[in-house]
Amino acid sequence: MSRPRKDPRAERQARAVPGQRPRYDLARRPETPGGRPRHDPRVEIARARVPGGARLRLDRTQHAGSSPSVAIGAMSATPPASTTLLAAPTPRVVAEPAFLVFAVADAPDGRLTGHDRQVLGGARLLADADGGAVVLLAPPLVDDAGAAGADRLLALPSLGYAPETLAAALLAEIAARAPRHILFPESPDGGDLARRVAVSLGEPLFADVEQLSARTAIRPTGGRRREQAGAPPRLMTLGEGRVAPHLGDPHEARTIDPCEPTETTPGILRAEAVPADPATVSLADARFVVSAGNGITDFTSFKHLAAALGATPGASRVVCDAGLMPRAAQVGASGTVLDADCYFALGIAGAPQHLQGIAGCEHVVAVNTDLHAAMVERAELSIIADAQAVMPALLRLLAEGGA
Amino acid sequence: MKITVLLSPGLHPLSGKPVLPRLEAQAIALGKSLGGVLSGLAAASCPDGVADALGHGLAQLDLIATTEGEDPMPLLAAALAEDGPKLVLAGRRSQGGEESGLVPYALAKALGLGVVADAVAIEPGTEPGTLSILQALPKGARRRVVARLPMVVTVHPAAPPALPYAYGAARRGTLRARRVQAAPGAPDAAPGLFEERAYRKRPKLMRGAGTGGSAAERLRAATEAGGAGGRVLTDLSPEQAARTILDHLAGLGILR
Repeated sequence: MSRPRKDPRAERQARAVPGQRPRYDLARRPETPGGRPRHDPRVEIARARVPGGARLRLDRTQHAGSSPSVAIGAMSATPPASTTLLAAPTPRVVAEPAFLVFAVADAPDGRLTGHDRQVLGGARLLADADGGAVVLLAPPLVDDAGAAGADRLLALPSLGYAPETLAAALLAEIAARAPRHILFPESPDGGDLARRVAVSLGEPLFADVEQLSARTAIRPTGGRRREQAGAPPRLMTLGEGRVAPHLGDPHEARTIDPCEPTETTPGILRAEAVPADPATVSLADARFVVSAGNGITDFTSFKHLAAALGATPGASRVVCDAGLMPRAAQVGASGTVLDADCYFALGIAGAPQHLQGIAGCEHVVAVNTDLHAAMVERAELSIIADAQAVMPALLRLLAEGGA
Repeated sequence: MKITVLLSPGLHPLSGKPVLPRLEAQAIALGKSLGGVLSGLAAASCPDGVADALGHGLAQLDLIATTEGEDPMPLLAAALAEDGPKLVLAGRRSQGGEESGLVPYALAKALGLGVVADAVAIEPGTEPGTLSILQALPKGARRRVVARLPMVVTVHPAAPPALPYAYGAARRGTLRARRVQAAPGAPDAAPGLFEERAYRKRPKLMRGAGTGGSAAERLRAATEAGGAGGRVLTDLSPEQAARTILDHLAGLGILR
């Protein structure tokens, strides 16, 4: 009996139309909230209408505000307004930490990898349980370490590839600051550094942790037939994709001064990077893939473009079926599932099977004539244009830049 | 040049029977390609699996008998100190035991050698007493490292394939039982600190899937294509479009 009683007289009075004689507008919607909103097809069509162009085009993607991100004509170099309007949250400060957790990042060319961010996420788990602070040890960074969850930032020397010097610098920091935990990524360089530090400290290494919380750490042993579980030890390496990166409020990432490392005589005299040849590397290993679909007819230009961009050429199923590209270049569920950082789709609509193949790609750029293609929906930057016309322009600009 | 290949009994991935790990067979091939005197060294409780190395191109193998669960590190270090090889080749990590991958590093520390990990090719350096090692990095990249001998080098799975097993070579090769005097290894720092139990497979995080919010939100983020979509630009001239794309790629650090 908690339903409010209706008062017919008051309801009738609320619909009264002011004037000389008593008139009531009974069709008018009551002002009270509740009730399903009425559809107004004309207003909806007006909202979905894409301005410019000769023929009527409607953007019926059901995003908030219908079409805020469609910029017409003019080049909008700024990112969508929604990200700039958000006020930056004040960073969290851990002024007096109870203990320190070291997170050592690979950060090749100053950018934190996804794995590095996961290591920081793991370090945050360990630090937040007991009021500790996370110290990020990495070569000088261009990325925002605070957003990744670091309370302190300690720059390691960046001398190219010098693991022995790096290990000596780390050992000096560990001796000076006595962290409770030291977390490394189980990556080729991170795992190598962790083992160098472990044997120098003479401490056991809890390698390739698969599950980490503030109370337990678990790692496989015995050919993945057994596992070890216990309280998180001091030295750990964290497997990839095991702990979520830090997504909460940013931390202050205050820079602290490194200690003076002890002198070492490195056995490694020099090192030079030999970048992977994008033309010969397999699609599964490629870091940047440019892919052709049904919107491409000139495959000579396409191959030149892939070479000029330094990308590995790929293709959609339609193109491979037609024999225009080799089967080994097919991207998708029945071809290769990519692990690339960036995917550049030229004239590909984006069948579900194709999108499965690029599910792991971090950045997707698309050129397509169809505004409503699934690939345009997936991409972070989409150009609605004929890919066949954009290719020569790209080649021309790349040639100018290289000259 | 005197080269020693460190061998260990591996586990067959399916049956769990002792086999020679693939990486160590590849290490033998890598050592043979370098030339010099090649010999094997293993510390194991029985020669099963390890003895297969003779069939993969190794002429001589020294086997140090250990008891089950004994730390092989001091024995291997003592044997290597006696032999004094210039180059020690090893796999990444043992199989079936602790599997922390520390043995090559601990040996290098004990003998005062340098370590280079993940080699796919080794050739003599231009200066005497050095080696030029091609190291495998993720995503098909490589790194050429010049390091001073003597050193320990671990082998990467992308190294050239192992020599095929030859029955005749396996019969001709010599397997020597070896005794070394070594101080017993340091006992386990804190026995019983970790619970040992059967392995449970744990799913990895899905790349690109959201990690915050409720389960329903994460499912939607994982299954829907890209969520709200990104920047969509229409009616650009090809030049403008190309400029936009190149600027975007350069901003991501993709174009060098």
